[in-house]
Amino acid sequence: MENVLTVRGLKKSYGKQMALAGIDFEVRPGEVFALIGPNGAGKTTTLRIIATLLTPGEGTITFLDHDLRKDPDFVREKISYLPEEAGAYKNMKGLDYLHFMAAFYARTPEEEKAFVDRAVEITELGARLKTKVGTYSKGMTRKILLARALMTKPVLSILDEPTSGLDVLNALEVREIVRRYVKEGTSVLLSSHNMLEIEFLSDRVALIDKGRILDSGTPHELKEKYQAKNLEEVFRSSLR
Amino acid sequence: MKRFLNLLKKEIKELVTPQLVISLALTILLFNFVGQMSRKEVQKAIGVQNISALDLDRSAASQAILTGLESARFKIERLEGKTKEQAIDIARGGDSKLLIVIPAGFGESLQNLKPETIETYSYMRSFSLIGASGSAIVGSVISALNNVLSNKFLKERLPDLDPQSLKNPIKSKDFVIVHNRMAEASASEIANRVRSQSMLIPIVLMMIVMYSSQMVISAVAMEKQNKTLETLLTVPIRRTSIITAKMLAAGLVGLISAVVYMFGFKGFMGGIGGDELKAASSQGGAVMRQLGLYFDTSGYIILGAALFLAILVALALAMILGVLAEDFRSAQNMIMPLMFMVMIPYFLSLFADINTASLPVKIFLLVIPFSHPFLVSQNLYLGNYGMIFGGLAYMLVVFTVLVVFAARIFSTDKILTMKLRFGKKRGVTA
Repeated sequence: MENVLTVRGLKKSYGKQMALAGIDFEVRPGEVFALIGPNGAGKTTTLRIIATLLTPGEGTITFLDHDLRKDPDFVREKISYLPEEAGAYKNMKGLDYLHFMAAFYARTPEEEKAFVDRAVEITELGARLKTKVGTYSKGMTRKILLARALMTKPVLSILDEPTSGLDVLNALEVREIVRRYVKEGTSVLLSSHNMLEIEFLSDRVALIDKGRILDSGTPHELKEKYQAKNLEEVFRSSLR
Repeated sequence: MKRFLNLLKKEIKELVTPQLVISLALTILLFNFVGQMSRKEVQKAIGVQNISALDLDRSAASQAILTGLESARFKIERLEGKTKEQAIDIARGGDSKLLIVIPAGFGESLQNLKPETIETYSYMRSFSLIGASGSAIVGSVISALNNVLSNKFLKERLPDLDPQSLKNPIKSKDFVIVHNRMAEASASEIANRVRSQSMLIPIVLMMIVMYSSQMVISAVAMEKQNKTLETLLTVPIRRTSIITAKMLAAGLVGLISAVVYMFGFKGFMGGIGGDELKAASSQGGAVMRQLGLYFDTSGYIILGAALFLAILVALALAMILGVLAEDFRSAQNMIMPLMFMVMIPYFLSLFADINTASLPVKIFLLVIPFSHPFLVSQNLYLGNYGMIFGGLAYMLVVFTVLVVFAARIFSTDKILTMKLRFGKKRGVTA
């Protein structure tokens, strides 16, 4: 089956500092693909490039047969991006925020309503959606942002550290949302330095460090290859 | 278009907060209140004035002077049988602004055509412009007295001659010529009138630029601070549409705010000036029309275009400065360079004539795009259309360059990586 996303030889530098030293990976339809690695490994830079926020250096990125460099507008139509430290407009009510974001993707009012209904279902925030986002807890804000990213059923959803900064219960809920709502044709590219989270969510993972992909495969394959109990041990072994 | 309108609606909603509406409403109320209060004070100052008088002469001449003053809007409290020191103390305790002391022998000296001294004591109970008007009374009282007395002398000595003809044998009749039009008026009077007519332009420009720029800078900085910018940049809308929506929303709200403030300002000025100013203004207006020193429809269109272009330049510049700001707080500092660029020509236009400034100063001012709207009104009066259209073209070029630059920043990594930090390390950081 044709890949949703194919990345080949991707390089990126900020001035003299090399952030990505040539990485290759692909995301297949309907799968959750994760980049795992420590802080500063190049995960966020990779996701930002694919989300069309940063311009790629060398290499090619193909999204549904379209060159991302040449056709970023096409990519934006089909993806959603949840940054690690994202926020929502604090003066807007939750429901208004969802309508505002849905209006960018919907072609008809009916479609917009369908997107918002789906987001309301994802958040499970009920009446709180009629209050201002500024009054939400961190967990509630993250849920509404995640709902925003998934409500349009994008071809590819890019989630950067989706549970970053959340307590155990909220993190669990967010993971369950991702698991539950990614079954309907949406592929997910996510990053995390929480290896246990990745193991729970991902179909395939790539280990990244200092701008290079060290290895990739399913969690099971990698654990077998490195004879490790979990992905943390896999990562440590791959560094040697 | 639907996406653009969606974003524009959000931008306007973000800017029109209850705080803004309340502050605008309070401004109108405050301006009107201060205007009405000032009007009462002005009316008090130009109404009947209380003065005290100590007549140590008690002659027919001294009585005639006091009676004359009473007929000229002065209410006189006569301090009978007191010494000068006592009179000074009594007047200090009352509400008189002035004490006049007519010395003994005053009438006799006048009879003998000897100059006599009348002492006046002004009680300054306030240093405000209106409060200090009491001191101006001294001049008008003495002048009125001299006029009355000299006329009286001349009439007695030369009964066949008009005292005015004798005192002012040469009279002047002033004419002002602007291009091929001529009117009877003094040059200083016309210059003052042109200045007062053009006064509103820099004030309007200052206000709109200040409000709109601050809004754009804050709008971009708030997106950064609230971490909403990254999400916005990945939704399917063109980057140029994001820039345009932010600029248009800030421009619209800034314009409405400025109109509201000007409305309040007009109420304030109307309160101070009252009917007297209106009457004087209509007389002067006729002379200005005679000289062609007024704006016709095309004049207003050119002036409007100049103001509009200046606002666009300010908004584009503010957009770039907003990108450089790290957060809302640093955005407040970012507005300063823009404010200086508007204030320099504004203050110079108040105190100097840019057209007659030295070449380096002139070049410096003409490079600042905001100087041109200040020059347009004067150049329209003087028919310098080359300067006018040159200025408009220059502003258009500056605006285009800034918008292209802003669009480039928004289309590249710089929107996320460029920032200036105040109070910390300065420079572009990645």
